[in-house]
Amino acid sequence: MAPKDYVAEKEKCRGFLTEYYGEDDKGMKHFKYAQQLVTLAHREQVDLMIDLDDISEFDPELVESILENTQRYRKLFSDAVYDLLPDYREKESVQKDSLDVYIEHRLMMEQRIRGANPNEIRDVRNKFPPELLRRYEIYFKMPSTDKHLSIRNVKADKIGKLLTVRGIVTRCTEVKPMMTVATYTCDQCGAETYQPINSPNFMPLLLCPSEDCSKNRSGGRLYLQTRGSKFVKFQEIKIQEHSDQVPVGNIPRSMTVCARGETTRMCVPGDHVSITGVFLPLTKGGFRQMAQGLLSETYLEAHSIIKMNKAADEEMSLQELSEQEIQQIAEEDFYEKLATSIAPEIYGHEDIKKALLLMLVGGVDRSPKGMKIRGNINICLMGDPGVAKSQLLSYIDRLAPRSQYTTGRGSSGVGLTAAVMKDPVTGEMILEGGALVLADEGVCCIDEFDKMNETDRTAIHEVMEQQTISIAKAGIMTSLNARVSILAAANPAYGRYNPKKSIEHNIQLPAALLSRFDLLWLIQDKPDRENDLRLAQHITYVHQKCKQPPSQYEPLDMNLMRRYLALCKTKTPVIPVELTDYITGAYVEMRKEARTSKDTTFTSARTLLAVLRLSTALARLRLVDTVEKEDVNEAMRLMEMSKESLQGQQETTSRTQRPEDVIYSIIRDMATDGKLKTLKYNDARQGVLAKGFTNDQFEEALEAYEELNVWNVNNAKTKITFV
Amino acid sequence: MPGIQDWLNCPLDIIQGYFDPHDAHWTDKVNEYFKKKLDGDDSSLSIPSVNHRSLHQLKPNSLVRFRGMVQDMYDPEFYLGVYEVEDTSTGTKMLKSGRYQDVASCLPNQKINIESRNNVTMDRQTYYCIPVPGENVWVKEAFAEKDQILSSPCSSSTSIRGKRALDTDENKEKVTGESSSATEEMMDSSEDSARRTVLSSGSSSEASQGIGVLNPIDLNFPLQGENGTACLVKIYDEKDSCKLNDVVEIIGVLSVDPSLATFPESSTNGNHSDILNPEESMDGIEEQTAHSPPPSLVPRLHVIRVTKLQHINPLLPLQLNSSDSVVAEILRDAGKIRDQLRWLLQQLLLGDDLSADYLLLHLLSNVYARRDVSALGKWSLNISGCPKSEEYTHLVHSVLEQLVTKSHLLPLTLTNLNSSRFTPKKDYSANRLKSGVLQLTDRTHVILDETVMEAGQLDTNGVQNVTALGNAISWQKVDYDFDFHKTEFPINLKFLILSEGKSMLPSDCLVRLQKKEQFDIEKLKSTIQDAMTSGNINLRQLRCYVSVLENLDYDLTQDMQKIVEQDFVDVRKDNRDNMTQLDLHNLLILARLMSLSSGETRLKCSIWERVKRMENERKARLRAADS
Repeated sequence: MAPKDYVAEKEKCRGFLTEYYGEDDKGMKHFKYAQQLVTLAHREQVDLMIDLDDISEFDPELVESILENTQRYRKLFSDAVYDLLPDYREKESVQKDSLDVYIEHRLMMEQRIRGANPNEIRDVRNKFPPELLRRYEIYFKMPSTDKHLSIRNVKADKIGKLLTVRGIVTRCTEVKPMMTVATYTCDQCGAETYQPINSPNFMPLLLCPSEDCSKNRSGGRLYLQTRGSKFVKFQEIKIQEHSDQVPVGNIPRSMTVCARGETTRMCVPGDHVSITGVFLPLTKGGFRQMAQGLLSETYLEAHSIIKMNKAADEEMSLQELSEQEIQQIAEEDFYEKLATSIAPEIYGHEDIKKALLLMLVGGVDRSPKGMKIRGNINICLMGDPGVAKSQLLSYIDRLAPRSQYTTGRGSSGVGLTAAVMKDPVTGEMILEGGALVLADEGVCCIDEFDKMNETDRTAIHEVMEQQTISIAKAGIMTSLNARVSILAAANPAYGRYNPKKSIEHNIQLPAALLSRFDLLWLIQDKPDRENDLRLAQHITYVHQKCKQPPSQYEPLDMNLMRRYLALCKTKTPVIPVELTDYITGAYVEMRKEARTSKDTTFTSARTLLAVLRLSTALARLRLVDTVEKEDVNEAMRLMEMSKESLQGQQETTSRTQRPEDVIYSIIRDMATDGKLKTLKYNDARQGVLAKGFTNDQFEEALEAYEELNVWNVNNAKTKITFV
Repeated sequence: MPGIQDWLNCPLDIIQGYFDPHDAHWTDKVNEYFKKKLDGDDSSLSIPSVNHRSLHQLKPNSLVRFRGMVQDMYDPEFYLGVYEVEDTSTGTKMLKSGRYQDVASCLPNQKINIESRNNVTMDRQTYYCIPVPGENVWVKEAFAEKDQILSSPCSSSTSIRGKRALDTDENKEKVTGESSSATEEMMDSSEDSARRTVLSSGSSSEASQGIGVLNPIDLNFPLQGENGTACLVKIYDEKDSCKLNDVVEIIGVLSVDPSLATFPESSTNGNHSDILNPEESMDGIEEQTAHSPPPSLVPRLHVIRVTKLQHINPLLPLQLNSSDSVVAEILRDAGKIRDQLRWLLQQLLLGDDLSADYLLLHLLSNVYARRDVSALGKWSLNISGCPKSEEYTHLVHSVLEQLVTKSHLLPLTLTNLNSSRFTPKKDYSANRLKSGVLQLTDRTHVILDETVMEAGQLDTNGVQNVTALGNAISWQKVDYDFDFHKTEFPINLKFLILSEGKSMLPSDCLVRLQKKEQFDIEKLKSTIQDAMTSGNINLRQLRCYVSVLENLDYDLTQDMQKIVEQDFVDVRKDNRDNMTQLDLHNLLILARLMSLSSGETRLKCSIWERVKRMENERKARLRAADS
């Protein structure tokens, strides 16, 4: 490969800077870089960010060259700017720091010595190393087509190239001055010597190289002049791979980043950053170079450091769902499909999974006139030991983009909410967020909810309705956001759930807390031959093939689910006016029902809110902007199912109906079907016997209801007449 | 062609011989050359082991082997893969390869030309490997024994060897029976245990390294009180083949050049300008000492070949294969060996045969699949009703120690829980992963002794430790703490919890110990001692039995599947409490283990029935204990 003609390349750079223009809104030419050069000349701007996208419009080959050999081109651009700046200066800049004054003095002194010859001055200026005079910094911006590399993929072949990595900042040093030009004066002749420095270490010059000294062999010694030297801000940063970039069973890798000048102070430990820079080897000087011979440290010379907030970062990884993926989700029964994709290894419990799905989507937060109505859905799962409650929680914990998992036994109120702590180093009071704060805008899974201390549980009350945590401790009064959905799991107080008792009795939790859950669900495994067989098949299959059996739906990939759920969350559906009547009507009905029947649950205004939340979540799931009647119906159905799960057993035990009653209802149904007042005796008997009753039972029933004056049987026993 | 001593002692010369700067694939030839050399049985055995020899017995830059666990993975290292040396007297230049070495090999009249355009920077991966944690003494001894017999004697260490002979004589009494019948090929990773005996005899200068106080560098072992040599392993090809906590055998070039060490002093002395030195500010002394420990303590190995080990049983061939004679013998006699083992465990468990059955199956358990969050095949056992005596749990441990290759006894005392670190944590100031007790290799046996626990206060650390233990038992995973986030690492450990009442930790199975004999620790000790020494029990067979069977594949046939399903449905018809989902899970695992324990790879009806009886008996016992 022929060596590049860097003089020509420099001309290209120069050409780009002066000639490149974009078009602004009005279609006028907009000389992007030329304008910046003016501000640079006036010292109003320090950094010049060169967007490689712009260069690729101008000269695609140049982009390639820059990416391959960034340091060199940075210098070329810097030289080009240096040459151009005097032409762009429109007025004398006023800002002067000590270095300016210093250089001005030198120039004036030289002038005095050499006489006022304009051509000479030019040369004198050139005697200074250019680094000393340049007050701008050149940075490159990656072409937007280039993807982020993970730190893991930055290998030896990337040395010298421009690249962008993402990571989390683990450490950074303080910003320190770093010498770029060392200035010395000679103690004999007073001449000044400059030494540009590029590496972290340098060997100071000792002997004066000036004409006077070398001619006279006076052996003048050089002394470092701090005032005349140039320093830049310098900071070292360590970044570490994001956890999602680390392959299973590996340790996250890290990388050192050097930030100079304007790129310093851009981040603190814990920040998620995207850094563009040049990957360079660090040459070690002196003793260590000899010792380690073959090794070289590497670092990334930062060109830009962009702080990303976690949410934005997550969204970046959420690439647009592809056609195919949309296709995969958006099928007729996508609701069932999504629901069964939750914890596919746990068999059954479709309704619970649906509820959990809705919880992940969440309703819409409303804040009319300062009042806050939460959109998050809280769910409490109860159930006998060993019904996979913890597995469900654990799965949700993994599926939700942001979540915290704690157990009631393991957390105190402080651990859940927030603690005020004294910083051991500074002695300052600091707030330390607990699980609920950390799970803000996410899900907080609390296992063994019932085992939590009474006092600790009260801390949750506020979170569950107001979605904030108020702290008034140690002089700190504040309110932290805790917009979390709570998914709790609890065991019944006496080992097994007793459907004859109310919930408070079964789960020893106060009603105030229980009513804050939108859905309470009792998980039971009921004996049912059909179900049992399928359950057994499921379990043996899992054991045999190490995967769950092919079900009706191929479970969706967790990542796809996450992306779809995130997409759902962008929607804010509203409830149309037409539906309000329907909903209020339904609510009134529910209240009435709750009053009449011996209800073990609560139906309150909170129930109405829960229905609204569930139905908006459903609308969100369908990616539409208005709630429809079906959504409300499904929400009501889920509420109903959750209630039934609490009472279901009661019915079977208390209402073991007498055969007479059943027979009566059979006969009545036959009569009403045919809209008859009278039935033929034989027809009735056959109908009843077909349902598996004996003739005796039939006759008993007839007698019993005749006594009650419900019907009459004629003496010939041929007709039954309803009264 | 160079002879055997050459490739053993001077592998670098051979590598340089193959080096060709114009051929990008020259390393393939090197790999092929060593593959050929190593594939022969005898030749690969003659490589001395770092595990069982002290470093001064090994020649620098010679070929060595090392058996260990990947404890940490450092950032990749960039080195000059090709560099130019210049002869200072003649001025001639030549290119050399930087692979497989840390320090440039230069003759006195040569100089590296760092600035040369011909230099090529390459990257390699550094792993920090430690000896397999929890490796039992008999394993080490057996490996050492083989190392002793097979590897060529090292000329540099005659005095030590004279002393070693005495040590091994003692070992021989115990081991001869086993190792004499051991087959040839199993000696692959042989020379490993000589070193250990050297250490214990105290004749080595490095005997102190296990003792943290004397040693300024923390070698980062998960289990306290372990010793051995840790290595910094540099991998060139297949950089991503290893995972954390894998057990690997490495054959590589030993590099112990003293200049590799970074001492805090040298970093300040060799510093010419104090104005700025970013290395000082950033990488800090801590990181440097952690990453460049003196090679006399932590030698560097440049990998020629790395093999993942399925097991570390020295009595078995490296790759288990049912056609192998030892494996076949074990499978054939599985029933008989099972009876022996059961008898031994029954003695140990005070004559309780049911508990002995469960313990036996527990020994064979192994996570064979993971499905989302659940790990299939784990069988953590809680034996309650143990006599409250520290000696008893130690005895249980000492017996299991003799049977399994890796084990660890963890007394759950309050001080232990509060003070020790269970989960590994990333230390950013030293940039390394600080190990924790739960960073163990697959199929390590962990005995949790809850009988020593007393009432008292658990601090934050203690609570976290208990939670971590609970998670490890229920989900077979450990959350490593990376400060900014936690990362889940799957584990495959067998937890045996010995407690008085039901343990506070979760477990898959709780067995109540029913003492058939009066508890007398002295008598028990002597019975077991007798059994072990008298020859009633063939220890070699038992050891092979456990290692072979835990690695066996198992199949649940369609027919059996139907029967099981039907059973489940029938039992639940009357009362759903008779068998829950969890019970069925457990039964299936138990049936698998029971089949394997008699060498069967398929479930049979009789075994299914037997397992059900066992479970019923266990439950009846628990109910009886409750009431």
